[in-house]
Amino acid sequence: MLLREPTRLLGGAVLLLFVTPLLAGLFGTVLPAFGLLPGLAETEGFTQLFNDSRFWPSVKLTLQTGLIATALVFLLTTLCLVCVQRTRIWRWVLASLPPLLAVPHAALAVGLLFLIAPSGWIARLFSPWLTDWDRPPTAWVVPDAEGVSLIIGLVVKEFPFLLLAAIAQLPSLHVDASLAIGRTLGYSPARCWSRLILPQLYSRIRFTLLIILAFNLSVVDMALLLGPGNPPTFAVFLMTLVSDPDSRAAASAGALTLALGVFIVFAGLFLIERLMSFWSQQRRANGHRGAGLKLFRAFGQWVISSVLLFSVFALIMLILWSVAWRWRFPSALPQQWSTAQWLTKSNTLFDPLLLTLCIASATALLAMIAAVIWLELERLQRVPKLNSVWFVPLLVPQVTLLFGWQAIALLLGIDGHWLTVVYSHWVYALPYVILILAIAWREHDPNWHHAANTLGGGYFRVLSKVHMPMLVKPLSQAAAVAVAVSVAQYLPTLLLGAGRYQTLAIELVTSFGGVDRRVIAALALLQSLVPLLAFLAALIVPWLVLKPRAALWQR
Amino acid sequence: MRIQNLFTLAKPALSAAFTLALAAATSAQAVEPDSEWNAVLEEARGQTVYFNAWGGSDRINDYLQWAAERVEADYGVTLEHVKVGDIAEVVGQLEAAKSVGRNENGNVDLMWVNGENFASMKRKALTWGPFADHLEHSDKVQDSPSIKNDFSVPVEGLESPWGGAQLVFIYDTEVTQTPPQSAAELMDYVKSGGRFTYPAPPAFHGTTLVKQFLHELTDNQAALAQPVDQATFGDVTKPLWAYLDALHPMLRGDGKSWPTNAESTRQMLDDGEVDIALSFNPNEATAAVRGGQLPDSVRTYVFENGTIGNTHFVTIPWNAKAKAGAMIVANFLLSPDAQARKANPEFWGDPTVLNLDSVNDEQRKAFNDIDLGVWALPIGSRAVLPEPHASWAEALETEWIERYGN
Repeated sequence: MLLREPTRLLGGAVLLLFVTPLLAGLFGTVLPAFGLLPGLAETEGFTQLFNDSRFWPSVKLTLQTGLIATALVFLLTTLCLVCVQRTRIWRWVLASLPPLLAVPHAALAVGLLFLIAPSGWIARLFSPWLTDWDRPPTAWVVPDAEGVSLIIGLVVKEFPFLLLAAIAQLPSLHVDASLAIGRTLGYSPARCWSRLILPQLYSRIRFTLLIILAFNLSVVDMALLLGPGNPPTFAVFLMTLVSDPDSRAAASAGALTLALGVFIVFAGLFLIERLMSFWSQQRRANGHRGAGLKLFRAFGQWVISSVLLFSVFALIMLILWSVAWRWRFPSALPQQWSTAQWLTKSNTLFDPLLLTLCIASATALLAMIAAVIWLELERLQRVPKLNSVWFVPLLVPQVTLLFGWQAIALLLGIDGHWLTVVYSHWVYALPYVILILAIAWREHDPNWHHAANTLGGGYFRVLSKVHMPMLVKPLSQAAAVAVAVSVAQYLPTLLLGAGRYQTLAIELVTSFGGVDRRVIAALALLQSLVPLLAFLAALIVPWLVLKPRAALWQR
Repeated sequence: MRIQNLFTLAKPALSAAFTLALAAATSAQAVEPDSEWNAVLEEARGQTVYFNAWGGSDRINDYLQWAAERVEADYGVTLEHVKVGDIAEVVGQLEAAKSVGRNENGNVDLMWVNGENFASMKRKALTWGPFADHLEHSDKVQDSPSIKNDFSVPVEGLESPWGGAQLVFIYDTEVTQTPPQSAAELMDYVKSGGRFTYPAPPAFHGTTLVKQFLHELTDNQAALAQPVDQATFGDVTKPLWAYLDALHPMLRGDGKSWPTNAESTRQMLDDGEVDIALSFNPNEATAAVRGGQLPDSVRTYVFENGTIGNTHFVTIPWNAKAKAGAMIVANFLLSPDAQARKANPEFWGDPTVLNLDSVNDEQRKAFNDIDLGVWALPIGSRAVLPEPHASWAEALETEWIERYGN
């Protein structure tokens, strides 16, 4: 019989495909941690882990970098809302966010290295005329042992993410009205924000903040590029353990410890929230109106512009290095230019590019199909809304799940298979795709369906001719995000691909430091361009689809 | 090429789904290490060889790309370079595969190893063979102790030699007029403001430099040729740790932040962040100058009393899927053609393992015509010190990490 509508069975399949790896990951990590996986890990791992001399130093470093970076991301976001919103540069900030979000972590990290190193571009710009440096200064190194470079990288990358999440919530908070009321009551604008708007906003961006916190505590690729090596961050330390068969149990125990640690930090955050809400109630009640702080606003605008410019200049570094031949300290621009990297290294550059594109398109396509199936079933009220389930992969540290997947894949003999790699990317892309599409799907007026059905359209005809074209904007955006997520995946590609899938992310991180810097810059540039172009396409495609349906376009 | 692979892999996968992947791949494996060469050639045709080799140098990557094109054209073998950061990780994967009983259809067909990694593979029976002495070109290999023994561990045909290497130093004559000639002079050099650092062990070059220091500083050099004896390890290495304790605070990054590999020290030399770069390739500087990665003013040298040198090899894991193809590739890498290209700094610049008396005149000319340039290590300055026994690497690395790694 021909399928007339998506059935509950199909929804069950989507959910099963999504949940299975999460459970498998858990088993594949828990069993070896306790020495219960014959063949792979036969000893109990926690003792070995806790006795390793790198354990405590790396935990300390991870907490230090992860917490400071997250706190700074939050501060910058509030600073930006208070100081920059409704100023001249606000428009620029808004325009810069999507592209900055699209740039993968690893590529941004490489660009930042070229920027902040002692021999980097910032030092070059001011040398020797101002600094008197004929040779690079020795006062600092990048990456540094304290993790400052890593914190900079995390902040620059994650700040746009939280800011965008916050901006998305502003309309529903009626900011202008709150400001007007607050001002009428004599509060300064900053106080209107801190007393009236931020407490409401916080509860709405808290989930994004948790995702960022989990990410900052467990990131691997950026920590490999910008983080210290001796000791490394905890997640990177676990990576060295997992590749040593005698330490598989310890690595799994560490992955569980990391997950547990992240949840303890979450709990700590909830505690701080309680304190803050108590404190802010007190502050609201005390009636202080505060003075307008022009200087503070100027400072805030300066800080926000600098942070965003860091990202932009990091990208410019990639472009410049990819076409440089000789470029020594302290020249501000390359002394000799060359396109040799692009022309003669085409294998090094374009094979990974093609592979990345293939995997990203497969991932995006499969994620879109799964998401549409699920949301349609949700609309038809055949499946429940499962918002929190989709978040799970984003809140559990990647190493925790992946060590488990890798163990299971080894046992089943499916590691090194390209479907396994795409599957793992799909699990990480689907949450974003569903979350983006869910908003559009749930807001979609059911009357369109009724009208189309009345006109005699069957289910698939209405879906493809009416429903999907009307939602082409969110659909294109979701596809672009899926591409961006896939392009950035380092750990899943590495651990499940048995090293065989040399995507741009893999190529960039594994060969960094060894391969020609100019080629590294070109690789990082390509890795940034793919998601950027995907986002550009997400702007153009809706226009092309909707142009013949002019009435819809104007809606 | 990789993309084509993707699609050829996709077909059976879609039809057979995941679980069948195991069953689908059990094809008859006929070739033995000592099979007739023609049988090897025949079975290899159409095979894909996954060659796990360090991927941190684009010149080496390009060289392997060239080798892939040649074996495809000449033997119908598809060579895929699987780039790895540290081959020890691959040894670990193989060990994991062995313990779950995956004795066929392994992910690795050929790998680039030497020293402690080979020793550990041999000890754990992760190699296949002895195949090396049955390769067509094996009769042209030099008859030298460092090829018969890999870090004092007898090779016994379980790996095939690929190239020679020696620890060398590259410096910029515009910055440094008289580079340090020993561990002791290096200490004075950094004391007077010289900029230096080295890759943190277990990075290969870092471990080798530590071995070099140990060789110079210890009172008991004879112990180094023997397996590590825990009872005397402390005594033998005591002067080394005293030296490093004093050296580290004066290094770039104050001994708290380290480069991850030798290539980064070359980049730091170009950036001016250090004065001396490390390499295991006597001709690296020539290639780097010609490739626009180092200034014209750099030169290469070794310490007065010599530096540690060794040979690197390729080996075939016991569970390799394409053993015949792997033998073909190993053999091709030994061919005078491939070795001459490897010895040329334009492509790689690694000293050959072939005995040049055993190749024909035309082939010898290819070696003799190589222009090493003024930047490379001058011929004749190569006092090569032997590698300590393979067990020293891990013992030194563990102790180093314990002392300085956190």
